[in-house]
Amino acid sequence: MNVDPFIDPHPNLTPAVLQGLGWLYLVLCAMNLWWTIRVYREDKHVMVPVLNIELPRATFWALYTSALMIVGFMHVSWTNEDYIDRFPLVLEPGGPFQTTIDFVVANPVTYFVISITGTIAVLLFRKFLVKPTVGWILLNAAVLFQALSMTDYDFRQIVGKPDNVPIVALLYLVGGFTWLYFYKAVENDRRLAEWDGEGPVPVLENDENEKVLVWPDLVYSELICMIAITTLLIVWGIVLEAPLEEPASSAKTPNPSKAPWYFLGLQEMLVYYDPWLAGVVFPTMILGGLMAIPYIDFNRIGNGYYVFRQRAFSIITFLVGFITLWVAMIILGTFLRGPNWNIFGIYEYWDVHKLEALNNVMLSELFYLDWFGQFLDMPSYGNDDPLGKQVSMILLRELPGFAVIGIYFVALPPLLAMTCLRTFYQRMGYLRFMVFTQLLLWMAALPLKMVLRWALNLKYLVNIPEYFFNI
Amino acid sequence: MADDRPSIEEILAMARSQDGGSADTPAPAEPEAAPPAEETAPAAETSEETPEAKPSKPAAPAAKPSGVSDILAMARAQDSGGGTEAPAAEEAKEAEAPDETPEAKPSKPSAPAAKPSGVSDILAMARAQDSGGAAETPAADTPAKEAAAEDDAPSSETPASAGDGSRPSVQEMLQQLRQTDGAGQATEAVSETSSERPMPVRPAAPEAPVAPPTPGRRSVLVALMLAPTQLIATPFAIAWTTLTAACGAMVLGLARFMFPNTLVEPPMTFKIGPPSDYPPESVSTKFKAERGIWIVRSTMYNGQDQIVAISTVCTHLGCTPNWLEGEQKFKCPCHGSGFYKSGVNFEGPAPRPLERHGLRLAPDGMLEVDKSKKFQEELGQWEDGTSFVNS
Repeated sequence: MNVDPFIDPHPNLTPAVLQGLGWLYLVLCAMNLWWTIRVYREDKHVMVPVLNIELPRATFWALYTSALMIVGFMHVSWTNEDYIDRFPLVLEPGGPFQTTIDFVVANPVTYFVISITGTIAVLLFRKFLVKPTVGWILLNAAVLFQALSMTDYDFRQIVGKPDNVPIVALLYLVGGFTWLYFYKAVENDRRLAEWDGEGPVPVLENDENEKVLVWPDLVYSELICMIAITTLLIVWGIVLEAPLEEPASSAKTPNPSKAPWYFLGLQEMLVYYDPWLAGVVFPTMILGGLMAIPYIDFNRIGNGYYVFRQRAFSIITFLVGFITLWVAMIILGTFLRGPNWNIFGIYEYWDVHKLEALNNVMLSELFYLDWFGQFLDMPSYGNDDPLGKQVSMILLRELPGFAVIGIYFVALPPLLAMTCLRTFYQRMGYLRFMVFTQLLLWMAALPLKMVLRWALNLKYLVNIPEYFFNI
Repeated sequence: MADDRPSIEEILAMARSQDGGSADTPAPAEPEAAPPAEETAPAAETSEETPEAKPSKPAAPAAKPSGVSDILAMARAQDSGGGTEAPAAEEAKEAEAPDETPEAKPSKPSAPAAKPSGVSDILAMARAQDSGGAAETPAADTPAKEAAAEDDAPSSETPASAGDGSRPSVQEMLQQLRQTDGAGQATEAVSETSSERPMPVRPAAPEAPVAPPTPGRRSVLVALMLAPTQLIATPFAIAWTTLTAACGAMVLGLARFMFPNTLVEPPMTFKIGPPSDYPPESVSTKFKAERGIWIVRSTMYNGQDQIVAISTVCTHLGCTPNWLEGEQKFKCPCHGSGFYKSGVNFEGPAPRPLERHGLRLAPDGMLEVDKSKKFQEELGQWEDGTSFVNS
């Protein structure tokens, strides 16, 4: 391996990469030094199974920290560019690992299955995950995974793009805040379970309800935050230069052409739905639905403090909607969608000519041609068929789709009211329940359509291109 | 038949005289206000019903000194009374006018007698109109018409008729009242004496019976002319007027923007060279950047060797797809829609094929594209002879 760009235009290792990674390892080392001291002060011991001796837990953290320090210094001090390929301590994720990751994330089915099972796992194992040690290990794992992956050229191209750096930071923030929520919620759940119902609610939030003054307590905090954020923005603006591209041209669309990161969820929706739905109706429903939450919510408990059990349904619904249907799609759009909007693995080269079979069929074709073996009658336009005949033929053609949508939106709410959401119906009343189920069904419409696309190659349930109406 | 019936003013006058004093003006007026609400009963009965109706109608209006609420009440009374002048009004008018005129007046003068303020006068009149039921509107100037209208009252309760222009405007009423005040009748006690009093006002009335709608029409005209002043009547109105004007100006400016003085864009019709420039089964991208078309020569669509001009706008969301020579397809970078060489969609979310533009063989042997025309496959327009050139 050589760094000469004429020999290898896509080098995995360069001196700059090693330097950067070295500093990252040193930062991680410093963080773990703090953690080691913290664990040492707690003075907890653990039995080592084989050696059968009792050691302080801080011992293991100290070993890990010193390993990080050695690795970090090795990276930083390796200045011999000619022999970069002989760098002894390079940590690379390795071929099989990369292949596996690519295989998993580059397939929308496995990707979404993982994101949904991951969310469910977090919900199920929340009590384990919120232990501080587990949280710390997860953070270390995330940083190490990213550091190791940075030695891959293609990964670096995506993650290191100035546009995407804040998104990477946001991922850490989302993970951190979700963990923080569960940490507090699990603790409050525990306290509420032991509560005898007397006196004020014994939640974390009530522990520190001493009065503080706006001035100086709040204003000073705000001032410090303001200075810190301003500094961060200035440093960011200087260090990460905004990408400057060629002048815009209506005839040339960048490939891939990506929306701003916060709209990538919408762009992903556009793959599965017609523009008027994914670009107009869905955003409206999302915004309207979020605004409607306070009016739909009938749960009078669990307000004003972090809690899970008292508001399990609301929180699960929100987390599934936010993590799997929004954040996961932003990740997908940012890191995995490549040229021609194909899905690429994180270590995969963005090949413009990557072939991906996207042949899709309409429900009407499936229904009439495949399932019933009938000829699909198409109206003839121009002067041949009168308008009435055209319309009736189109409606007949799209009858299966209309039926499916009608059942979904009209028949399902009463069915839910009679079966699994009966208590909801009783407590909410007719109108509120209907609004609630409609919003829920709209939310579920996206993953359902995705599943239909993957399972049946279904493109549209109702397909009336003549009048720009597709569902 | 209307002859038998006493007019509102008569009833009023009677009521007042029974009460024995002008001081009670509000009291007699109220009871009469009630019946019209239940209406359809002849006006003659109205006067008899007054005593029973009395409690039903609260005395509140009388107690309210504010001018606005009084006017409002009057408006409401007119609505509920549903006064109309039917064609019958004209015939009845002449006969009744003489009889009723003298008696019709008392109500008005009596009001000033009780309360000299203009507002209370309006109130009194409003009450009088209430009692009249159907024909309250003309009551102010034309008793004849009013009487005639009473006949129709039972059948016409519809509030729709309220706005038919025969209603006297507030200004008119005020004016009339001021005239009566000015005549020095304010101190008059009872109705009989004051019944002559209105006569000075009446002079205007004789004309009214001849052409009853005239005052109405005039009042509408006045109201229309005065209407613009409402736009700047209060700071609130000024603010809204200004906002509306500013928004209107902005819309006009925007509309003007849509029609620029000069249009810098290439002509919609242009030559692209002879057919021999385009070998079989080829896609030419040389006009993509400047003109937004691909020139495709292929037998793929229907087996015929056709040259077509395909628009470079994706039918999904309007991005510009790329022609991938290796894969022999158009591929959109935005959401992955794919199209065959013929322009027909086959993958991704695009709902319909790419559009064709007009293409013809010009007399000089050159192909000529007409971008002002477009042909959509799903509408069967690709059969159109101007959407392709056979080669």
